[in-house]
Amino acid sequence: MASAANTNLNAVRETMDVLLEISRLLNTGLDMESLSICVRLCEQGINPEALSAVIKELRKASETLKASENCTN
Amino acid sequence: MATLDQKSPNVLLQSLCCRITGKSEAEVAHQFQYAVRVIGSNYAPTIERDEFLVSEKIKKECNRVRHTHSHTFFSFFSYKVLDSNTSIIIKHVGNYGALFAQALPRDAHSTPFYCTRPQSLALGYGERSAALSASVGTSGISSLGVYTLNGPTATPQSLLAGQPPQSAAGGGQPLGSRLAWALPVSCSPSSALAPLATRPALGPPVPSSRVVRPRRDGEVSEAALVRDILYVFQGIDGKFIKMSAQDNCYKIDSKVVLCKSLRDTSSRLAELGWLHNKVRKYTDARSLDRAFGLVGQSFCASLHQELKEYYRLLSVLHSQLQVEDEQGVIVCSESTLTLRRLLVWMYDPKSRLKTLAALVDFCQGRKGGELASAVHSYGKTGDPQMRALVQHILSLVSHPILNFLYRWIYDGELEDTYHEFFVASDPNVKTDRLWHDKYSLRKSMIPSFITMDQARKVLLIGKSINFLHQVCHDRTPPGKITPASKSADTPKDAAELLSDLEGAFQEKIDAAYFDTSKYLLDVLNRNYLLLEHLQAMRRYLLLGQGDFIRHLMDLLKPELVRPATTLYQHNLTGILETAVRATNAQYDNAEILKRLDVRLLEVSPGDTGWDVFSLDYHVDGPIATVFTRECMGHYLRVFNFLWRAKRMEYTLTDIWKGQMCNAKLLKTMPELSGVLHQCHILASEMVHFIHQMQYYITFEVLECSWDELWNRVQQAQDLDHIIAAHDMFLDSVISRCLLDNNSRSLLTQLRAIFDQIIEFQSAQDSLYRSALEELALRLQFEEKKQQREDEGQWGVTAEQVAEEKKRIQEFQDTIPKMRSQLRILTHFYQSIVQQFLVLLMTSTDESLRFLSFRLDFNEHYRAREPRLRASLGTNWGRRPSNI
Repeated sequence: MASAANTNLNAVRETMDVLLEISRLLNTGLDMESLSICVRLCEQGINPEALSAVIKELRKASETLKASENCTN
Repeated sequence: MATLDQKSPNVLLQSLCCRITGKSEAEVAHQFQYAVRVIGSNYAPTIERDEFLVSEKIKKECNRVRHTHSHTFFSFFSYKVLDSNTSIIIKHVGNYGALFAQALPRDAHSTPFYCTRPQSLALGYGERSAALSASVGTSGISSLGVYTLNGPTATPQSLLAGQPPQSAAGGGQPLGSRLAWALPVSCSPSSALAPLATRPALGPPVPSSRVVRPRRDGEVSEAALVRDILYVFQGIDGKFIKMSAQDNCYKIDSKVVLCKSLRDTSSRLAELGWLHNKVRKYTDARSLDRAFGLVGQSFCASLHQELKEYYRLLSVLHSQLQVEDEQGVIVCSESTLTLRRLLVWMYDPKSRLKTLAALVDFCQGRKGGELASAVHSYGKTGDPQMRALVQHILSLVSHPILNFLYRWIYDGELEDTYHEFFVASDPNVKTDRLWHDKYSLRKSMIPSFITMDQARKVLLIGKSINFLHQVCHDRTPPGKITPASKSADTPKDAAELLSDLEGAFQEKIDAAYFDTSKYLLDVLNRNYLLLEHLQAMRRYLLLGQGDFIRHLMDLLKPELVRPATTLYQHNLTGILETAVRATNAQYDNAEILKRLDVRLLEVSPGDTGWDVFSLDYHVDGPIATVFTRECMGHYLRVFNFLWRAKRMEYTLTDIWKGQMCNAKLLKTMPELSGVLHQCHILASEMVHFIHQMQYYITFEVLECSWDELWNRVQQAQDLDHIIAAHDMFLDSVISRCLLDNNSRSLLTQLRAIFDQIIEFQSAQDSLYRSALEELALRLQFEEKKQQREDEGQWGVTAEQVAEEKKRIQEFQDTIPKMRSQLRILTHFYQSIVQQFLVLLMTSTDESLRFLSFRLDFNEHYRAREPRLRASLGTNWGRRPSNI
């Protein structure tokens, strides 16, 4: 039982690794944790396209925020 | 990670926002709300179900941004993804792909310059980007390894050290194998070799599937050869392998530096190109040939099909090659193209192409049924694949032939523009010779899977149908004659038929044959009274109707003794009519009687009517097929012969009659008794002779042959049988009646005998005339004497008596002349008969030999003729040498 769980875990880990590499190749800028969150959200039925739009929007917002911060600094 | 599983979407979303923006939870509220709004609004996901399409799309994008190395890795990882067994991945990879695909156009610049990453990860990314610029391939993998084992936080120091910790045994193994996959063997990303060499301790020893051989300078690599070979497979000259025309083979340029094994292998592979060229040349040449015919075209089509399959295989190989080109890195050892692999894969196609090329060679210059025979002969092989291939081609090729066949036997139509079918039709022949001449068998075009017997039957069936349509004007639809059966509409039917040639095909042909022939014979007998006409021929032309012939002869006798030039046809026809009406012939079918006619032969000088008279029987329409012009000619000759013989009989009857009548009268003239006796003897000899001849002709020749003919005709199954039986009948009659070329000497003898009989008749007539005259005069003298005595005068005066005596003396002086004449006649006659007998005895026909027995039953002639004394046994089987 433990080994089964172990192998399962390994498989999952492997999968995540692959996905991470794919995302890295595609320059998505997602790190492991963000990617795993995205995976969970997609599994739970969230529209991936919407999700990606959200992420882009968030990035843009944070960018502008940073820029404004730098300017004020 | 496990804790994330239970979190609700909202929570997850919030944490995502935190991560991305790098702010705490309180600050991202505004963004979070926005996110929720966006996600909530968008309901219809455009999910690409096909991960391949997604990966292709992504690849294209990578190409677009010239991120050459990264997309090879993407392919690599796509493989990994697809190979893995995790179903979740396969289900959702489309989603992820969509995610990535959306993300991609925006983030189209390469990683190193993307600086707005969250700070916590910047180090990791920065390190990574540094490593990337050095060598792309391996660093990614090692970073992957890092992430596997150490979690999301980067530990840059472990990047280069690279010894995978032993914590996850499973992790180590895939790492090693991944490294193995990353091992570049092809020329292009050769730079990756170098960094690998700097990591000697990386992972377990690489299970390389390839031996990287040390290469010589300028040597052609295997991959280049493979590329060349793929061109050669299609018949195009490659860079190194070219077609050499004088050797008619593909040769590798001798300038090229190539190791021997590769050279050999590529030569073996180049054979395929040669075979392909051969087949292609044939099909191209034939497609231009307009007169090639349907069979040839179907052959070319089947060859094309095979070539299409071959091209398909080549395109698969090509795409394989392209895949390798794009990756730059060999991914899986199972799918690379090497010459060895090609050898193995192309083995089956090679044998197929070999068969095709052999077929092409064998079928050069053939068309039509010959082509089908050629293909069929190739089907007799033990190799099941070759046999299947040849059978397939054969079914396609024979399909047009079978179509022709079915149209021919069910409709009687022949549309054969290219002369491929084995039934040939001669368009110049008119309808009267339709049966005999119009249709013939083209023996060269009979396919070898159709026997000669079947071919003949097929010819006969179609001929019968055409005969019915054109000559008998009977256009009953073939459905009535033969039950309609489906023709070979598809090549599959043809294939089925070919597999069962003995059974189904033969049955079809037999059924059609029986039905059509039976129908034809029915039509002929019912509508055209063929059998009645046959019997009529026998009765009239072969003198079967005795009373009619006798009466006719009686009526014609006074006419025919006149010279031939004075005869008129209408007179004779009138006499014929009279004869018909007066005898049993009047009860015959009107159809027959109206065909009966008189014909006057050509007149030569000195001919009497006897020589030129002949009966005639008109034939037309379908009957003329059986009673052709030659047949009618034969009939007329036989009639002539029989008529002459009959005339002799008639003459002798007259002679005998005369003899009987006058014997009594001339009893008072004893000096005539010797002459008369001679006459009688000769006459009886002649009678006996003619009697025997007549018996021979009537019974041995005519009746026997007729019986045989009648039996055959009753049992005949088709018109050809009837025609053959009839011809045989006529032949036998002619040869037995001594009318053919072999018996010419016999015939002349017989004619001579007949002439003698006629001479004898005239001699006897003159004898009787003078005798009767003499008798009459004597009677007159006696009467006068009696009368004078009654009147009281002297009965006879002296001078009257003297006168009478003188006259009688004169008369008696003529008697020896007569006697000698008769003697000469007798002698001549007997010598002719002896010669005739000798010829008969040495003839090859048995019945003629027996005739000689009957003619000489009491050896009367044998006594006179020493040659006849030789026993029959010594002459048995001996060729008639000089006798």
